[in-house]
Amino acid sequence: MDNNEKVTAPEAPVKEIKDNKSYIKPQDSSYNKFTNAIVVIFFTIITIAACMPVLLVIMSSFSTEKSIAENGYSFIPNEFSLDAYKYLFRSGSTLPRSFLNSLFITVMGTAIGLAIMCPCAYSLSRREFRHKKALMVFLLIPMLFSGGLVSTYMVNTQILHLKNSYWALILPGMCSTWYLMILRNYFRTSISDSLIEASKLEGATPFQTLLTIVLPICRPVVMTVAVFQIFGYWNSWYPALIYIDSNHSELYPLQYVLVNIDRTIQAITRDAANITGMATVSIPGTAMRMALVVVAIMPIIVLFPFFQRFLKTGMTIGAVKE
Amino acid sequence: MDNENRPEKKHGSLSDTNKKESRQLTVMTIPTVIWFSLFCYLPLFGIFFAFKDFTPVPGDSLFKNLFVNSEWVGLRNFSYLIHNPQSLSVITNTLAYNAIFLVTGIVIPVTLAILLSEVHQRKFQGFVQMALVLPYFISWVIVGYCVYAFLSTDTGVMNSIIKHYGGDPVQWYQSPQYWRVILISLGIWKSTGYTLIVYLCSITTIDRTLYESAALDGAGFFQRVRYITLPHLRPTIATLFILGIGSLLNSDFGLFYQVPMDSGALTDVTQTLDVYVYKSLMLNANFSYSSAAAFLQSFVGCVLLVISNLIMRRVDKDSALV
Repeated sequence: MDNNEKVTAPEAPVKEIKDNKSYIKPQDSSYNKFTNAIVVIFFTIITIAACMPVLLVIMSSFSTEKSIAENGYSFIPNEFSLDAYKYLFRSGSTLPRSFLNSLFITVMGTAIGLAIMCPCAYSLSRREFRHKKALMVFLLIPMLFSGGLVSTYMVNTQILHLKNSYWALILPGMCSTWYLMILRNYFRTSISDSLIEASKLEGATPFQTLLTIVLPICRPVVMTVAVFQIFGYWNSWYPALIYIDSNHSELYPLQYVLVNIDRTIQAITRDAANITGMATVSIPGTAMRMALVVVAIMPIIVLFPFFQRFLKTGMTIGAVKE
Repeated sequence: MDNENRPEKKHGSLSDTNKKESRQLTVMTIPTVIWFSLFCYLPLFGIFFAFKDFTPVPGDSLFKNLFVNSEWVGLRNFSYLIHNPQSLSVITNTLAYNAIFLVTGIVIPVTLAILLSEVHQRKFQGFVQMALVLPYFISWVIVGYCVYAFLSTDTGVMNSIIKHYGGDPVQWYQSPQYWRVILISLGIWKSTGYTLIVYLCSITTIDRTLYESAALDGAGFFQRVRYITLPHLRPTIATLFILGIGSLLNSDFGLFYQVPMDSGALTDVTQTLDVYVYKSLMLNANFSYSSAAAFLQSFVGCVLLVISNLIMRRVDKDSALV
């Protein structure tokens, strides 16, 4: 621990890349109060409009079945109720299971993905690495050519035998050239050579240097890639559509349960009827649909404010040209 | 003697450690290289699918089936593809939607970014960015259900409004005439926030004093945009434009398959190449056909990317990708 401190202390290696940014100020002569007011109103309207669809879904999920049947989905439910959610969580194991599946896939994919990409990106960022050029070409070619759905499907099912397994949902989206470039660019610009030299003199191997010095300093960019991956995995449904067949519905992630929503609702209704002995008519199918969507979307909306600064880093580093 | 020997010794050991370090760095890239080999390079063999009449013998390995059991048919798969009456509409759809997205994907975010950069209330600016980029992180499945809440025949908001004003409810999922507009607006809704942030970040790197001196010289808002902002944004616009050209034949599977709920009545306007490939593979198990389509997609995309980059390099060297 002492050693680390000695190494990191003299430098101030992390520099916010914000330094050269400039924003308009009210005292500027290019500033116009009138324009500003119009633009603010304009964006208020656009923002509200952009949020409408999500808002509608959330509000609808709190409606009673009766008010949906009478008035349709609406922004302000006539009668407020939590029935849809009660049914979702009470009935059978479909929903909790798929929620856990999504969680598992997200955590595993993000963790393994970062564990294998960070060392690679670090190597790419080092001058001493001799095969840097070759590896870059190797990583860039897949951006141009892809085998297409057919052969990807055939390879994944017949050679790698991923069909109907969690790995089919985790492995295919785990790495990307884009993530590697983001990591590499950040490693290269925010870590000074002398810091790494110092760590070498202490006798650290590159892997130790990465773990003890580079990653702690570069936590923002690691978080950035993690956040993109978390959202990517949480939202993914295409691999499930292709690789998981209906006999293995216990593997379904939440998003794919939504794809199959009608079947799911039937199953839930049946379970609920069995458990509670209620007539299926009174079960809130239409509201449940929306409640299911809300369950899938909530983690994103809740985490979004915390994650958004990382997302912004990713978007802007990703767009920077070499 | 000591002094004479030291530099040489040090030099020798340094190059040794460098070699060793490079080796260690190479080892660190191995997991990523394996991943790329399995999930990007292995499927590249699938290019052969497009030139073979794929007739798998059950029990044989994929490679034996592909290279031994299947016959070479040259370009026959492609000629089938081109002579299929459906293909024409599929390819026109794909190209038309992408051309529209290419234009709107530049004009709308650039306009919004320029307007938003005129707002000095930083908190408001941040909030707008966050609200507009949120749709990007919502999956198409969920977007599909948000749309369903608006367009459902019995319970959708649109039909409620139409009924309220005495009109006849529309069967949205059976009426192809509306879907071009719906799909295009959804595409814009989902992607604008992301590109907006990229452009806005680029704008904030412009030195504000440029605007100040321009304003003092009597340049109005539009002149400042024309002569300062747009030239500064040109490389970013060009980059995104070239990348867009390269994916002219790709389409968002979620948007065109999941959002219209795979409704048969809408096929004419919603079927793009990716949907077509998926359907012919999954529903008709037509390997050669769909791999020909996928090959076309990859090949044409690559050629377009290279050509547009070459042209861009002629026109404006700074704006080209490579």
